[in-house]
Amino acid sequence: MNTDKTRVVVVPCSGIGKPFGTVSREAAYDLCDELRPESTRLVALAKLVLGDPEARELLARYPAVTIDGCKQMCASKMVTQSGGTVAQEVSVLDVFRRHKDLKPEGIAELNEAGMKLARVLAGEVAERLDSGEQPGKGANHV
Amino acid sequence: MSEIFERKVGIVACSCEELAEGTVARLAALKVLNELRPRETVTICLPLFLAGGAGDRAFARVHPTITVDGCALRCAARGTEMYSSKPAASIVVNELVAECGLDRPEGRRRLNAAGKIAVDSTAGRLAAMVDQVLGKVTGTVLAAEETSAAPVGEEREVACSCGSGMAVTKLVIDGQTVEWVALPLIFRHFRERELGQDEAAALELFETVKIYNAVPPESEKSYRQTIMLEYANFCQKENQL
Repeated sequence: MNTDKTRVVVVPCSGIGKPFGTVSREAAYDLCDELRPESTRLVALAKLVLGDPEARELLARYPAVTIDGCKQMCASKMVTQSGGTVAQEVSVLDVFRRHKDLKPEGIAELNEAGMKLARVLAGEVAERLDSGEQPGKGANHV
Repeated sequence: MSEIFERKVGIVACSCEELAEGTVARLAALKVLNELRPRETVTICLPLFLAGGAGDRAFARVHPTITVDGCALRCAARGTEMYSSKPAASIVVNELVAECGLDRPEGRRRLNAAGKIAVDSTAGRLAAMVDQVLGKVTGTVLAAEETSAAPVGEEREVACSCGSGMAVTKLVIDGQTVEWVALPLIFRHFRERELGQDEAAALELFETVKIYNAVPPESEKSYRQTIMLEYANFCQKENQL
């Protein structure tokens, strides 16, 4: 299980009901497309819901970073239920509590504050990946 | 469908982050939820079916759902059927794009022009499906400004069912914890009709409860006693208000 530590799987929440879900998605894109494209792989939560074999194989091979937009923590729960290991369990709400000036608004299109919040979150995850910190589920809400 | 429940359609989008078609599915769903049919639709989070969303599963059991998927994997449609009930209708974005002769959407994070056209086409088809499911005029998609609750350009927070779906009540019966869907709604409906709590009313109430909840034949008597006790408690609480 999780034999290859050179990469991480990034699983954002797929919520479309609140701006925090959009922040989780934007942060995942920031991380996977811009900050650490060589060492990350985006996996859609919908595939885990369905038990897609390819997605489960990726989770079996690489540790996961989950980014959730609400307290239901669907991404984190689904990774665990799918047999994966959560290396970083990130809650957008926790990051927002530390950056109250970055209040996200808009779902289809985030406001500038929401985009900044996503970038801050992605940057913090990238730093932790660089430092090799893998604190495990629940131990480190970024 | 009972008149107890306000008629709404649950929209389940795959919201796939890996493909541009997933972004089209998500934005089309939001367009219907926010602009085209805000009063008739709510969104249901697909992952919540598995991640503890008893309310979401319950909602999808008693309300019609329409799924919007980006690709042939059909995660939303298959997931909804697997964990709740078969969707009333479904759309697959890449099939709709081919059917309409549109260019393929690109840009999973920021859609290109073809992607934005695909969003509009998908949303139009989805709104028409909502009307069909609700028994409104077939094939006619009303203009956004005729039905929209939110002013154009103003985005409202859509009626997300995260943690706030259909009420699920847990009752211990014969030593087992049993989950019941929509009891407060049903109880309120019966109380407002002032049917009382005699044998005929009890029978009617329990038959309604059974429409939305599975009752094993061998447990019918004990389940019914518990439900009637729960209904009596409900009425007592309401009377105290």
